Amino acid sequence: MARVRLENVTKRYGEETAVDDISLEVEDGEFVTLVGPSGCGKSTTMETVAGLTRPTEGRIYIGDDDVTTLAPKDRGVAMVFQNIALFPHMDVYENISFGLRLRKYDDEEVRRRVEQAADIVQLEGMLDRMPAEMSGGQQQRVGIARAIVRNPDVFLMDEPLANLDAKLRVHMRTELQRLHRELDATVIYVTHDQAEAMTMSNRIAVLNDGRLQQIAAPLTCYNEPTNLFVAGFIGSPSMNFAEGQLVENGLETNNFTVNFDPTQVPGVTVGDDVTLGIRPEDVHLTRFAETVGSPTDPIGARTDVLEPMGDEVFVYVLLSEAATGSMEQDPATSPNQLLMSVTPDTDIEANQEINVVLDRSKIHLFDTATGDALVHGITDLSDRESGTTPTEADS
Amino acid sequence: MSDPRDSTDPTDAGDTETEPPRDPTLRRPDGGAVLEDDRDAELDRGPFQQWVADSISNPERVYRAMFYVAAVFFLFTTLFPFYWLLMVALTPEGQLQDIVFTPNGFNPGAFVEVFQVIPFHVYMFNSFVIALASTVVVLVVASLAGYAFGRLDFPGRTPLMLLVLVISFFPPAAFFIPLNDLFNTSFFFLEPITGDGTLYNTPFALVTPLSAIFMPLAIFILTTFYSQIPDGLEDAARVEGTTRLGALFRVIIPLSAPGVATAGVLTFIAVYNEFFFSFLMTDGQPENWAPILDGILAYQGQYQVMYHLMAAASILGVIPVAILVVIAQEKIVSGLTAGALKE
Repeated sequence: MARVRLENVTKRYGEETAVDDISLEVEDGEFVTLVGPSGCGKSTTMETVAGLTRPTEGRIYIGDDDVTTLAPKDRGVAMVFQNIALFPHMDVYENISFGLRLRKYDDEEVRRRVEQAADIVQLEGMLDRMPAEMSGGQQQRVGIARAIVRNPDVFLMDEPLANLDAKLRVHMRTELQRLHRELDATVIYVTHDQAEAMTMSNRIAVLNDGRLQQIAAPLTCYNEPTNLFVAGFIGSPSMNFAEGQLVENGLETNNFTVNFDPTQVPGVTVGDDVTLGIRPEDVHLTRFAETVGSPTDPIGARTDVLEPMGDEVFVYVLLSEAATGSMEQDPATSPNQLLMSVTPDTDIEANQEINVVLDRSKIHLFDTATGDALVHGITDLSDRESGTTPTEADS
Repeated sequence: MSDPRDSTDPTDAGDTETEPPRDPTLRRPDGGAVLEDDRDAELDRGPFQQWVADSISNPERVYRAMFYVAAVFFLFTTLFPFYWLLMVALTPEGQLQDIVFTPNGFNPGAFVEVFQVIPFHVYMFNSFVIALASTVVVLVVASLAGYAFGRLDFPGRTPLMLLVLVISFFPPAAFFIPLNDLFNTSFFFLEPITGDGTLYNTPFALVTPLSAIFMPLAIFILTTFYSQIPDGLEDAARVEGTTRLGALFRVIIPLSAPGVATAGVLTFIAVYNEFFFSFLMTDGQPENWAPILDGILAYQGQYQVMYHLMAAASILGVIPVAILVVIAQEKIVSGLTAGALKE
């Protein structure tokens, strides 16, 4: 097992920059997920670690060795692929033992290790099957067995669950976590599914446009996103955003005003454009305002569409009469809509006049121009002295 | 759903739909009788007219008939010369006039005599070695080229591929004079291999130009096959511990078995059947690596042509290729059905 360190890794294909100056460090035994929308460079980043792609600039270290120019086979990494990539002309045993046989292990040792690996991924008795005769989940387990059998320093997993159906995906998610705990292995995992990233990782590295946006523990990314992109990407459904302007006694958007002391927000002054971010679960009906630590003034609104999910209900809230609740716009980015989540027993129906409050301590403020987070959680003007101190965003 | 004809029960639906009113006295307004089906027409038509009517209503029959006609014609034009060759081979020497469809006499000994008059087996061996060596050279080099053209992205790939294909369209005769001159030139570094330092009268004089001539086709076939192997498989092999070359030989080539077999068989047959270079690059002596072609022509003396032996030798020369095609066909088919990839 070993640490992995990327130093200013950049990969350019002609004019296009797929990976732009990424530096990150994965500790020994850590499970780090690279997450981002498609085309953000997360797979390319992983390929540079695997050695399948050579970075244009920057260096890569595994353990204490500079592996930037080493061939994949000499790096001590194993990889699990999105398209599973089992060798179709070999049976399960040959697939799993491929790497061991190349390294000229003796037959006895190969058999022992293959059986042990098959045991871990629960493939006993299937060693003589051909990949084509197996289900997707079984095939991916063979892929994982092929990776663990060599006892590599680092596991690289490139969307290993993407080709599985939803139910199997959730099951394999827990299996991978169990595997990580059992093997105590260093894992770099690539996915575009933020739920996978949230549930499995020790730390998440959020990528966009080839750049590293934030690398932190899942809950830190969720509660203290460093910029608008991370705030919108992590969490499902995503955070509500409302653009506004900083005024003398708080923030004014087109539809509502939030009172706070603008001097407590570092880096901006009155008159600057600021975007407010609030997660659906931090929007509350006014009648529950007492349960909220520091509610804002009530905001008049009308419910539009209800989405009962079973454990909660998502309510699309129209903030102004002008808003038609158009389908074209994502509620997160539409200036006149809010998405609110309420408990299923809440007495609420579509097209109903309501008042909502926001939880001040859960409000995020972002600089509209740069997208950088300014502050997570704000305090009321009145209880400025006694209130909780806001967490300042790391810059 | 109260209407019984709307019932989804298949038997009900069948009853109501497949029973059109069939009234033999049905008349059209112009007084003509309506032909209800073919059975009415059968009464006043001859067999040919009947066949035409059936064909119009059922064109598949015509297509099938045309297929059989074409197949029989093709088989006849291909196989009759072989039959004729067999007749000539079986006819004893001196009775070759007036062979129609059966041999004049029966002399299977010609197939043995072939080897007694001249060492025909040596010619066969030479041909085999030359064809096999060319096939190996072509497959190895074309595999590397096919990998580069099919799986790598490099500047000038398309122009280079076009150049390879264009060269394959040149007439081989265009290369002959410079090559013959080259192969008759003595090089000191070849002396340990060929004795006199020239390539003339060695298998290299045939293997070199013939591999080059049949290489583009093999490159083209293999490029197509190799480019279809998913990148993930090659990546997996490389992470597991092979080099790029190792991945080519352990994963890509086995998965492209049908393509490799096709390229190999085509090359082998083409070299084995080649006339021009085979005729000119040796002096025709069996000890100088002359191929089958020279063997067959060797039955042609100054005063006498032993047609029956030439025919027997020709048949013997065809047999290895025929066997190869039969075996390879099975391999190609099994390769195709086994090559199911998950992508």
